[in-house]
Amino acid sequence: MTEFMQALAQGVLIGSTYGLLALGMGLVYGVSGVVNFSHGDFISLGMFMCLGLYSALALDPYVSAVITVPVMTAIGAVVYWYLIRPMVGHQFLMVVQLTLGLSLVLQNGILMVFGGQPARTPSMVESKLLILGDVVVRVPHVIAFVVSFALAIGLYVMLRSTDFGRSIRAVHQNANAAALMGIDVRWVQTLTFALGIGLLAIAAALLLPGTPIQPAQGLRYTVITLLVVVLGGMTNFVGIMLGGLIIGISEAFGTIYLSDTLGMLLPYGIFVLIMLFRPQGLTWSSSR
Amino acid sequence: MLEIEHLVTGYGGVPVLHDVSLKLGAGELVGLLGANNAGKTTLINNLSGIFTPMSGRILFEGQDVTRLTARQRVELGIVQVPEGRMVFPEMSVRENLLLGGINQRAKPHRAQQMEHVLELFPRLRERLGQKAGTLSGGEQQMLAIGRALMAEARLLMLDEPSLGLSPLFVQYIFGIIDRLHKEGLTILLVEQNLNLTLRHAQRCYVLERGRIAVEGSSDVVKNDPRTRSAYLGL
Repeated sequence: MTEFMQALAQGVLIGSTYGLLALGMGLVYGVSGVVNFSHGDFISLGMFMCLGLYSALALDPYVSAVITVPVMTAIGAVVYWYLIRPMVGHQFLMVVQLTLGLSLVLQNGILMVFGGQPARTPSMVESKLLILGDVVVRVPHVIAFVVSFALAIGLYVMLRSTDFGRSIRAVHQNANAAALMGIDVRWVQTLTFALGIGLLAIAAALLLPGTPIQPAQGLRYTVITLLVVVLGGMTNFVGIMLGGLIIGISEAFGTIYLSDTLGMLLPYGIFVLIMLFRPQGLTWSSSR
Repeated sequence: MLEIEHLVTGYGGVPVLHDVSLKLGAGELVGLLGANNAGKTTLINNLSGIFTPMSGRILFEGQDVTRLTARQRVELGIVQVPEGRMVFPEMSVRENLLLGGINQRAKPHRAQQMEHVLELFPRLRERLGQKAGTLSGGEQQMLAIGRALMAEARLLMLDEPSLGLSPLFVQYIFGIIDRLHKEGLTILLVEQNLNLTLRHAQRCYVLERGRIAVEGSSDVVKNDPRTRSAYLGL
């Protein structure tokens, strides 16, 4: 029972950050139809930037986020405007190809700068534990959970009640009509992509403490994010957060109850099972 | 207020409109008639800046707007109520109206403007919190017009406002158009419905396969045999 609760707690905590990762991807898909296959490599980039800042200035990853978030947001805007935007509206596979290429560029760029050895970025809360009855959770996981949910709620409120948020939803629902309102559709798409990459920088800092990193890890994050987005029904906010929790929990159960390698397979197994019965994703109707 | 000079436009290099010239004075209600595929929607999408013409000029209050973006034109007050209404279905009526007034010029007075729109369409007030996708066709048309008014349109372009509506709603919508015209708004009314448009517009243009076939006051256009032939495609 303790083990069960332990796995559940860990899964929920990590799953919330997976949800956050996927929200960025879902938003981008919603406004521009782009699925970014270099998503996970941008997480890598965020993590290695934190590592670099630690090596150079001994900054804690949580502090580094103050620098990495604006830098990554700017990188996101530049990448969308100059690389992805010219491809949007052409063959879907061209964008896939482009972002896959970007993934290789990022991966090998990181490899060139940091080398292929697994690395760790220390944080002051890294080994701190929080004991709640029988359940022991790591403090970085708790921080990740709190920040991810706070950001998810913040995003939700932003989408609902600001002009920028309503513009994002308008472009998602009918880009032509949005243009007729005087909304600059390309600009909204660019900002949304930048926002998505900025969120990744936050997620990178949240996932980093205690996690060994290596340049080739990006694809794993991309795949996990894709699972969550598809589970959530691509653009449904609540569905995506729920999908994050499901993938997080199944990963935690996999690693605790099964062997390491077999455990890593569990989220995919659960994903396939859910898709067999609910091919439209977890949600019953689109709420955006 | 609006002058179109020798406009040629099309898709992928194939012209759809050939040498179209058209004028609209301030405060006029002008009809743009034509059968399906005559190029009516193409014309107003050029006016809205969704497409850029191959040649020709568009002047709005003497300013050349031919190369301006859709957004810049909305900022000037050139606002379209699109064919098929195109409301944002998953957003509430209130959010749709707020989006209408999102441009920099209209934004400062959104609250007053919304009050004005809701007075014009009391039905929308009852439905403020409802998703636009759940409204009837007629209510969606009210919302689409209300949304354009939120943008503080100075030139309002309506694309087929009668399409798919019951006769009662058509009458109601045209009553609203008349009222807006009387309040001094300049309106370009794009319609397939010949008699209805001739009754409400002061002047009309008839498009036939991308060219202006007939133009003049509504009486002149009504009695011109070419009007009927443009419609029948003879």
